[in-house]
Amino acid sequence: MAARVRLRIPFFAPPSEDCHQTVESPLNRIKLLQILPVALILVGAVLAFERPAYAYADPGTGLLAVQAAGSALVATGWYLRRKIASFFRSGGHSVLEPAQQPVNLDGEESRNQ
Amino acid sequence: MNGAGTSPARELALSTSAPELELTFRDPAGELWLEAGCALRRIRPAAEEETRAFLASPLRKSLEQSGDLISTRVAYPSEHSRVAAGELWLEHPRIDPISYPWEWSTGQWRAAAELTLRIAGQAIDAGWTLKDATPLNILFSGPRPVLVDVLSFERRDRHSSVWLAYGQFVRTFLLPLVAAKYLSWPLAATLFARDGYEPRQIYEALPRWRRLNPKLLDVVTLATVFERTGKARASSGQAGSKTNPDLARHVLKKRLARLAKQIEHAAGERSQSQWSRYAQTASHYKAADVEEKQQFVKSVLAQCRPQRVLDIGANTGAYSLLATDAGASVVALDNDGAALERLWQRALEREQPITALVADIARPTPAAGWRNREHLSLLDRLTSGFDMVLMLAVVHHLILRHQLPLGHIAGLCASLTRRWLLLEWVPPSDPMFQEWLRGRDDLYGHLTEDDLRNSFVPYFGVVDRAALGNGRVLLLFDRLLGQDHIGIEAEFQSAGGGKE
Repeated sequence: MAARVRLRIPFFAPPSEDCHQTVESPLNRIKLLQILPVALILVGAVLAFERPAYAYADPGTGLLAVQAAGSALVATGWYLRRKIASFFRSGGHSVLEPAQQPVNLDGEESRNQ
Repeated sequence: MNGAGTSPARELALSTSAPELELTFRDPAGELWLEAGCALRRIRPAAEEETRAFLASPLRKSLEQSGDLISTRVAYPSEHSRVAAGELWLEHPRIDPISYPWEWSTGQWRAAAELTLRIAGQAIDAGWTLKDATPLNILFSGPRPVLVDVLSFERRDRHSSVWLAYGQFVRTFLLPLVAAKYLSWPLAATLFARDGYEPRQIYEALPRWRRLNPKLLDVVTLATVFERTGKARASSGQAGSKTNPDLARHVLKKRLARLAKQIEHAAGERSQSQWSRYAQTASHYKAADVEEKQQFVKSVLAQCRPQRVLDIGANTGAYSLLATDAGASVVALDNDGAALERLWQRALEREQPITALVADIARPTPAAGWRNREHLSLLDRLTSGFDMVLMLAVVHHLILRHQLPLGHIAGLCASLTRRWLLLEWVPPSDPMFQEWLRGRDDLYGHLTEDDLRNSFVPYFGVVDRAALGNGRVLLLFDRLLGQDHIGIEAEFQSAGGGKE
């Protein structure tokens, strides 16, 4: 049987803020601006951690890395989608609903401590 | 006359008959044989459990019902001598003829790619994935693409956001379309590129500014850059981390959506050619001539009732569609991709059983692949496969553009049809004949209908004839009884055929 690829996908730390925290819009913007460079660093990290793959169909070195980079970008958007939405909400307060709790990459929902 | 018996020519013909195919030996999960009425697939023990699980899955049922996946049943030793007891064997219906990607039009490439992405998406939702994604896993059943490789499915790791077949899909589906669109590399050239094109090949051939095209940036430019940097650390390894299953699925679906957009972009607009608008622009046909020709063809089809028709030089398919209206399934050949694209589109819209192949009968697709036995030549797939061959306004092309003698054309026709041949003779006085004559009057300007008939006499008798108002002649030939294609080859060889 074909061997499986183990590809390193970047670790995204779950957001640590209380999910019920009320955030002022300007503060929200600042936080987002702080997160974006981190996301870009993570995209770079995924390329550094790319490992060779062995499979029946050749996954290709460059195209495998493209997949990893694409995964990182999509994952970044997936985690930040709520924040991005609130970022564009002008003037008001944005509250994260319990149902919108961020989920970390290990499949565990982040809990309120 | 009939070439029967054990003449040296017949023995030569026998020894050079179609080789046995060697199919799917690359897939470690199984191998395939083509039998007379079906395809048999042996599953290796290591893949048996997963194959049985897929066959029992709702995904397989759903894909078969939609017609996207070839139907499958378990084969038993009592039904097939090749099937061994204690092993898992599968039986599929034959799709005839096999159409290879290098004989597809751009639209067919796109349809095959979209089918693969659609199936990949459904598989992801159902907990499966495609482990390979190549056009060679797709056949056209009439105008519809069908995935024919049930061994392409494997269980998906819910935590993995990697699609292993992504690279193969890009190399074999997307980059040939990109190369055709931006570099004018013909899709037919993929005959020589089983695993498609590497991003680096396209990158180096593209103009610099084109490398920054947003639709090509990742699959061409970034892939090339990463490939160069990736080689240096090819031996480095890191333990894999697990991704949230919802996120993994989300990433995979996004990737498929991006590929679908890239395929749509690369397949581009419909192209036009001199021949794709032939029916609308032909000035050498008056409406009455067209009507007369169509009526004759209809009456011949009604009289002969062929089940399988080969339309050589089918153009946009006017006569292929007449044949399907008469109840036949059709294989339509033309070397003009734009014209054949229209034919395929019309057949798809009308759900007519027409298999469209971009191929040149004067220079047929050769056998290809490992030991030349992986992919059959065009003639190996077509020989003796039809009740009727249509060759309407093609002979003068073969004579004037390919310098083929009439006797050779007759021999080819006799090898293709089991019974009928409907041929349109274009005389030297015809404007289209004159267009290709180009000063070679002494060689070809004297040819007459009688010359044509005399060349076809060894194989055929004329049973019907219609002279059109524009001077062209339609001839219905009936093949002489007692000749199979081997006898015809022998007849051809003994007549000195094949020598320059």
